[in-house]
Amino acid sequence: MAQAIRRALTGSPRGTAPAALLAVSLVTLIFAPLLPGLYWALMPSMQTPVWQALWRDPQWPQALQATLVSAVLGPALACAAAAAFATVSYPGAAWQAMQRRLPLLLAMPHAAFAVGIFFLIAPSGWLARAIGQFLAWTDPPDWATVQDPHALALALALAIKESWFLLWTLSAVLGEQAVARQMVMARSLGYSRVQTWQRVLWPQVLPRLGWPLAAVFAYGLSVVDMAMILGPSTPPTLAVLAWQWLTDPDERLQAQGGAASLVLLGLFLLGALLARGGWHVWQTRRAYPDGVRASATPRHWRWELPLLAVGYAVLAVLLLWSVAQTWFFPALWPTGVSLTHWLQADWVPFWTTLWLAAAASLMCLPVVLVWLEWGPQRWNAVLYLPLIVPAMPLVAAQYAALLRAQIDATPMALVWSHLLWVLPYMVLTLVGAYRAFDGRLLTTARALGCSRLRACWQVKWRILLRPILAAWAVGFAVSVAQYLPTLFAGGGRFATVTTEAVALSAGGNRSVLAVQALLQIALPLAAFGLAALWPRWASRQRLGLR
Amino acid sequence: MLRIDHLSLRRGDQALLHDLSLSVAAGEVVAVTGVSGSGKSTLLNWMIGDLPSAFDASGELWLDQQRCDGLPVEARGIGILFQDDLLFAHLSVGQNLAFALPAAVRGAQRRMAVEQTLADMGLAGFHDRDPATLSGGQRARVSLMRTLLARPRALLLDEPFSKLDAVLRVQFRAFVFEQIEQLQLPTLLVTHDATDVPPGARVLNISDWQVGDA
Repeated sequence: MAQAIRRALTGSPRGTAPAALLAVSLVTLIFAPLLPGLYWALMPSMQTPVWQALWRDPQWPQALQATLVSAVLGPALACAAAAAFATVSYPGAAWQAMQRRLPLLLAMPHAAFAVGIFFLIAPSGWLARAIGQFLAWTDPPDWATVQDPHALALALALAIKESWFLLWTLSAVLGEQAVARQMVMARSLGYSRVQTWQRVLWPQVLPRLGWPLAAVFAYGLSVVDMAMILGPSTPPTLAVLAWQWLTDPDERLQAQGGAASLVLLGLFLLGALLARGGWHVWQTRRAYPDGVRASATPRHWRWELPLLAVGYAVLAVLLLWSVAQTWFFPALWPTGVSLTHWLQADWVPFWTTLWLAAAASLMCLPVVLVWLEWGPQRWNAVLYLPLIVPAMPLVAAQYAALLRAQIDATPMALVWSHLLWVLPYMVLTLVGAYRAFDGRLLTTARALGCSRLRACWQVKWRILLRPILAAWAVGFAVSVAQYLPTLFAGGGRFATVTTEAVALSAGGNRSVLAVQALLQIALPLAAFGLAALWPRWASRQRLGLR
Repeated sequence: MLRIDHLSLRRGDQALLHDLSLSVAAGEVVAVTGVSGSGKSTLLNWMIGDLPSAFDASGELWLDQQRCDGLPVEARGIGILFQDDLLFAHLSVGQNLAFALPAAVRGAQRRMAVEQTLADMGLAGFHDRDPATLSGGQRARVSLMRTLLARPRALLLDEPFSKLDAVLRVQFRAFVFEQIEQLQLPTLLVTHDATDVPPGARVLNISDWQVGDA
């Protein structure tokens, strides 16, 4: 009975029908053109000759192999690294130190990270030079450490970058459940830390990590910018091949590109099914607890250091290259340092990226707020689809839709194409804090005479300023990092720092490339900095907002 | 016997507890009371071996002539019961209990021992039930039995009755102290409710060991 009274007092969370309609129609504007777009983009590929041509293409087997290696090995290593670190250090000082550093590392866009890794592990990279100091090399060694035919360098870069993302989602999941207490309980029953993770924590935590793992796998399958920088070049990974075919003027090759996109989608579904099946088998075949306790293994290594060190090394090597005047192998440090590359840098991509990301994230913010406040929350799963589905078919669908409407290569089309990925990430970032907001504050405001909208504007959204700005910063960073939508929807006419970095990595001046990569990192960092500082300034006299 | 020698707890430069010494005999229940935030739970965290890294502690913990304060949680042989039952959601009720049974009980005997325990508790036939389908009182009882099945040599109770309603509280309290009496475990009970303390138990206020304002 108390529940019924409470429900009557706080009112239905659905709100008024027109507002809900507004929420749905805004989101539909972003998603709806995809459906006909998918049809137009993939219909030409639905004929047998296209698939036969794909099968017979000489690049197909190698491309498939490279994709499988990088998309399976990379995320698997990322999982293993994140799991090993969590097992050993949760919830101690090392875990908390890692959590403080993670946001900085996560803000680094994928393409800039790939460029940094390239500078580190290439045959003439910094690591080779460091080794060369001891072995007195004068020429770069003849190793294929980057752009190797098996895509191992790409797998390594994916492993490191995605391990940070998995650690971040893992810390979110661990923070939600009463996991630390379960750990103490199981350990007090005599089980070691490793056993506790194996028998108690992973069975409960892994299902919560299903969506992030799916997103990591989908990204690994469909990544193009990292694959162009670190992956094999002839033949490239399947995603790059699909992109090359889709943008080819020959219609048969376009159809082949559509078929390749469908293959990527199929690989994703196959991987997801295998994972679900494997999990189900593991669950049902769990043995009766045998009570065997392992001896406690107190190991206090600082495991987080290697994972963090790579991030710092990437930043350092990019900075060095950007100020290096001359830096030939085997010199460990640049022989001349100057700011010419910065002064002569092409700032046009920077400004393009800035207005594009600002437009996309600022346009998305009201949509997100309206959706979370008035939209039907049951459909959140549909919103998250662009995150876990390989990007290639979606980008092709967007491009087909824009072509039919004849508005491709316009700024409006470009911003619209980014919204498909900016929106889900913003919703994902904000939904937790939004749901945790005490609804009684809103009820109190409305009881004092405000309309729902006014109560939200003056009370709810001001109190939620910090999470809202964090979500905005995430949307901004996502837009900066977009590669394929910029190329497709922009028709190749808009150069962002991401497209510049990938284009320059194909050969050319390393210093210019380093400058563009650093500009690519600077933008999300500035956004996150703003999102951190503004609430602090706004709440300087209101400690309750912290 | 459970003994604490000269324990001092500090967080940064703020002292929480100063020179706490305490000994608990077998089968005895010692209650530690105090206001919220006074460090009662931190004391239990130190005793179980899970002191957060923000705290520093100096002092010795002795259990049955063996020094414990340097050992990891799993090696101490001390059981703990929290406010929440903390039953593992992915295991059935019976599997939760079997999890705690020592490895010395093998094979088919493990299941038999668990079924016997459930029958003794009045929960016969509950072996394959999902813990989430049990009532609050039933879960609390299963949680206690799980802790006791691991054969701890001492027991710590961190306000275990505070989430139960009045009727359940009385029943569960009686159940807990009956088990402690039977197994002769030295027990430390942390609570801020005076009615939780069993008759005849020593009651200590944590402010006796606090420096300055609590």
